[in-house]
Amino acid sequence: MMLLVFVMGCSMTIENVIQPDTINGGETLVSTLYVKLTTNTEQTSKFMIAILVPKMWNAREHATITFTSDITSGPQKMTAIPVGTPAPQADGLDWPAKLAATIGNGGNLINDWEWVAYYSDADYKVVGNVEVNAVVTVSIPTTEDNISFKMGYVAANSTDGLSGTDYYGSYFPGCLRVVGTGDLIDFCNPQLSSIEPRTSLDNDIITINFDAGVIANPLANASDIYLCASAITTDGETIDACAATEKTKLTSLGAGRFRIECWPRDYFAVPAGKTLQRLEYFFTNADGSIKVGYGGGISPFIYTFNCK
Amino acid sequence: MIKKIAIAVLGLLLAAFVLYSCEKEQTTLPTEPIKEIDGTWKIVSALRNGTDMTNRFDFSRFRITFSGNAYTVTNPVPFIQEGAGTWTFDDPGYPFKMNFQENGGAAKSSEIQYPVRNGKRNIVISFSPGCAANTYQYTLEKEN
Repeated sequence: MMLLVFVMGCSMTIENVIQPDTINGGETLVSTLYVKLTTNTEQTSKFMIAILVPKMWNAREHATITFTSDITSGPQKMTAIPVGTPAPQADGLDWPAKLAATIGNGGNLINDWEWVAYYSDADYKVVGNVEVNAVVTVSIPTTEDNISFKMGYVAANSTDGLSGTDYYGSYFPGCLRVVGTGDLIDFCNPQLSSIEPRTSLDNDIITINFDAGVIANPLANASDIYLCASAITTDGETIDACAATEKTKLTSLGAGRFRIECWPRDYFAVPAGKTLQRLEYFFTNADGSIKVGYGGGISPFIYTFNCK
Repeated sequence: MIKKIAIAVLGLLLAAFVLYSCEKEQTTLPTEPIKEIDGTWKIVSALRNGTDMTNRFDFSRFRITFSGNAYTVTNPVPFIQEGAGTWTFDDPGYPFKMNFQENGGAAKSSEIQYPVRNGKRNIVISFSPGCAANTYQYTLEKEN
């Protein structure tokens, strides 16, 4: 292999990222990263690129990353680093864990994201006091899911890792809109209501959250919040549970946040042999005179039971 | 002459000592007692995808009663099986899995842990009653 003088060093920055604002679900997201490296010491390392992605894309299996530089010849290949491989100077943490701990979640508000890290296939010897520019091409096949997500990118090397802020660069280009099918899964914007786990069936225990202070709404200052919900079965039957009782009362977590735990099959007394397809729900005050739906309005929140 | 006889007698005695002092080595292994779980058990800890749900959802009234190889459930919560049936360990002496055969339904198995905590035997069972990606872990403690 030709000895490549590829500059890795004390300072690495991602100068810019070109990424579309919107794509259609199922298309391949192609992003271009412009990385600048400057050094003052000789070093031999692998180049590292990490991407912050929604787990549903399974990027580890499907994404490809290559790069060129002004001192290498042709596209250079990169390979996903196996989970569990210790990152450098990370006290035993692997790259995903170290990235999550040091860089964070990029502002994604639903806990269904992951960092996926890649090493260059080759090692590169760095000489001191030079500046090199690299262009990284990231290709990620997306799924049909209808989502808004805050992508993130990190560049580093296999010697210094994330051990100092000069040794790595990070870039968050903003909220990507993937126009797909199904309910919008909005990682970007605070939600009046969310359900955990993100995917579930009617035999799971789900947590229905209400954050009354996120946007202006008639229940913003309410002290008691109740769940008013309808469960729709796969054969079109509707089962209602809308009375304000102890069973439907949410637990206050403080700061305008509330939640209720629900085992849907039991909560709605779903008959044997029937399966729930979705929930349509509102939040109300004690006497039901105030009803808050999606966006603080009059349309219900909708949660579809699925495992995708 | 006497000396030779004495040496011979000593040799014979030594041989006899060596031959008859060694006992046959015990080669059978001690057997691990079969794990008995007859009785009624309750949930003392419940995790959903690693999150502690014990005090967030009412697991307090759930009971599973084992009697011989049969089990019954009262005040159900999401569980590996919905209804009553039979159960087995994969190995009664060293159980790593517990199999539940619901009456009239399919069998399901769970890897288990069988620790002693605070002097009480626990059974830790993991399963997915809904989406396979959602894992629940219940720690059961014997009530009586």
